[in-house]
Amino acid sequence: MVDMPAQNPQRIVLPPHRERARRPRIVRLREWARRNLFNSRAGTALTIVTAIILGLLIYGVIYFVFVDANWRVITDNRWLLFAGGYPMDQEWRLWFSVGFVFLLIGLTYGTWASLGRRDHLFIVLASGFAILLLAHGGAAIWSTLWYLIAVGLLYAGYAITIRMPREAGPGRTLQQRSVAGLLIAALPIVLIVLLAFGGARPRELEGFVLNLVLAPVGIAGGLVIAIPLALGRASRMKAISWTCTTYIEVVRGAPLLGWLFVALFILDDVIGGELIVRAMVVLAVFTAAYMAEYIRGALQALPGGQSEAAHAVGLNQFQSMQLIVMPQALRISIPPMVGQAISIWKDTTLVTVILPLRELKGNADSAIAQFEFTPDRIEAYVFVAVVFWVVAFIMSRISQRVEGSLGIGER
Amino acid sequence: MTTETASMPARDLESAEDIIIAENVDKWFGDFQALDQISMRIKEHEIVVVLGPSGSGKSTFIRCLNRLEEHDSGRIVIDGIEMNDDVRNLNAIRSEVGMVFQQFNLFPHLSVMNNITLGPRKVRRMPKLDADALAMQLLERVGIPEQAEKYPAQLSGGQQQRVAIARALAMQPKIMLFDEPTSALDPEMIKEVLDVMQELARSGMTMIVVTHEMGFAREVADRLMFFDEGSLVEEGTPQHFFENPQEERTKLFLSQIL
Repeated sequence: MVDMPAQNPQRIVLPPHRERARRPRIVRLREWARRNLFNSRAGTALTIVTAIILGLLIYGVIYFVFVDANWRVITDNRWLLFAGGYPMDQEWRLWFSVGFVFLLIGLTYGTWASLGRRDHLFIVLASGFAILLLAHGGAAIWSTLWYLIAVGLLYAGYAITIRMPREAGPGRTLQQRSVAGLLIAALPIVLIVLLAFGGARPRELEGFVLNLVLAPVGIAGGLVIAIPLALGRASRMKAISWTCTTYIEVVRGAPLLGWLFVALFILDDVIGGELIVRAMVVLAVFTAAYMAEYIRGALQALPGGQSEAAHAVGLNQFQSMQLIVMPQALRISIPPMVGQAISIWKDTTLVTVILPLRELKGNADSAIAQFEFTPDRIEAYVFVAVVFWVVAFIMSRISQRVEGSLGIGER
Repeated sequence: MTTETASMPARDLESAEDIIIAENVDKWFGDFQALDQISMRIKEHEIVVVLGPSGSGKSTFIRCLNRLEEHDSGRIVIDGIEMNDDVRNLNAIRSEVGMVFQQFNLFPHLSVMNNITLGPRKVRRMPKLDADALAMQLLERVGIPEQAEKYPAQLSGGQQQRVAIARALAMQPKIMLFDEPTSALDPEMIKEVLDVMQELARSGMTMIVVTHEMGFAREVADRLMFFDEGSLVEEGTPQHFFENPQEERTKLFLSQIL
């Protein structure tokens, strides 16, 4: 081949580029408004009514948050709401766990998804919210520092993993396996950090920390029970399938509240032990019944050719389940599973109603039971609601991102 | 590569052993009889093409040969191993019989590489490095070594089917079953799959192919079988079939598709 001359004499002549007249932004905006907001007389009326209602609402919220509300009910009870009876001198254990979990969230994000603009915005807002509340009380400067370190870890985990190559290959596989392994190990690690080697006694887990412990145990435990349950229900052996079906129908047939009563009174005689352990068992058993049904649905949605192909390459029934069918079924069932996870996250508040376990909402009740804060119950409950919403939203966000990037294996 | 059958290495079918024996095989789906007294013997290295209208039982029959369907009565013996309820026999048979499906049935959550190495590693306990080397060798054989790290959904239909063939070959089977391997493909991709199958035939693999590709049947098959309504109606060489079919149903079928 002859070397190309450094300057290619042949210029490609493009036809004259016609700049498409871009109308000014305000004109486009006006047209958009006409099409979407004022397209008819009724539409205009609806728009105006909605705008008035929205305006009143927003004004109300802003007035309440910045003028009317007495947030001292939160800031003065910061520790009560956050960790309750957890020994204060062991605070580092809580923050170590928070940092570890934040790091994991970052690693998960970076490995399977990339953060959108909205995610960054959301993390910053949530952090700002948390820091404002934590820092307000005066003595909380250390908490703020801890929290900032945790957010830093989140971004560090993200920054490290997002730069790693995405193409399939041994390195990528190793990365995915390590993060997945850490995710599986996270719950036991956190429990050990919180409780073992001079940590708190189980009954000293309180406040927000208790919700944060109960929900993952319920979700993870539920998943572990749900997989064999789903397979059992689909089994051809009648005894197994009937047993599993009965379990699912009985558990789903009664409200969680009812099962927590069972934990309080009946399980006391059967397994005894710590109340918190009983609550965990009930949450896991309850979640499992729902998750099993989602998995069963996914199993049915999977094309039969998959297990046939697995058998044709010589895999036995167990290997076919473990390597081919289950991974795909679990992926299909991610959206309803996350719904269930969010639902059980919120349902952790129920343990206060039945069992003398003091989670976030329970300790909010204690906060407003103090004489000086009795008028501030709305503030307390708004705070609790926002905290629950933030965590639920994080769960939903992560799952959406991860689900999107797992779509690579879709047919 | 020449496509003439004459250039095949002399595959001495006369002295070859019977590798597949079916005797009076019946199969019912509820009240519907899918297979009615099917008997046949297929020799090692033989290429058999199975023809027939849809619902004739041809797919059901080859699915019985690795027990994706369980036959209700009669005998099936693969390479001297009786097909029965003994799991050890079944495992032995399945590792000797490879299968390629109409819908490819690749594992969508695994890379091409892992699709191919899964069987050797999990069933044959082959070390990963050896399995990877084997997979690359097979991908080269089917002509797509550059796709090793992709996922099935990123490949064209023809490429997917070639991966499926490589996956089946990775278990180093003695027999390959093809269940309408080109029926789900766009026309321009059929040839790349047929070429791979032809090369496989030339290498001495025993093959049973359910297909409507008459060119393939004529050029590559040693023997054709015609199924209709669950029965084996007629069998013979391609010459016999295309020039001198005996049964009315065969003639009718051939007149419809040729």
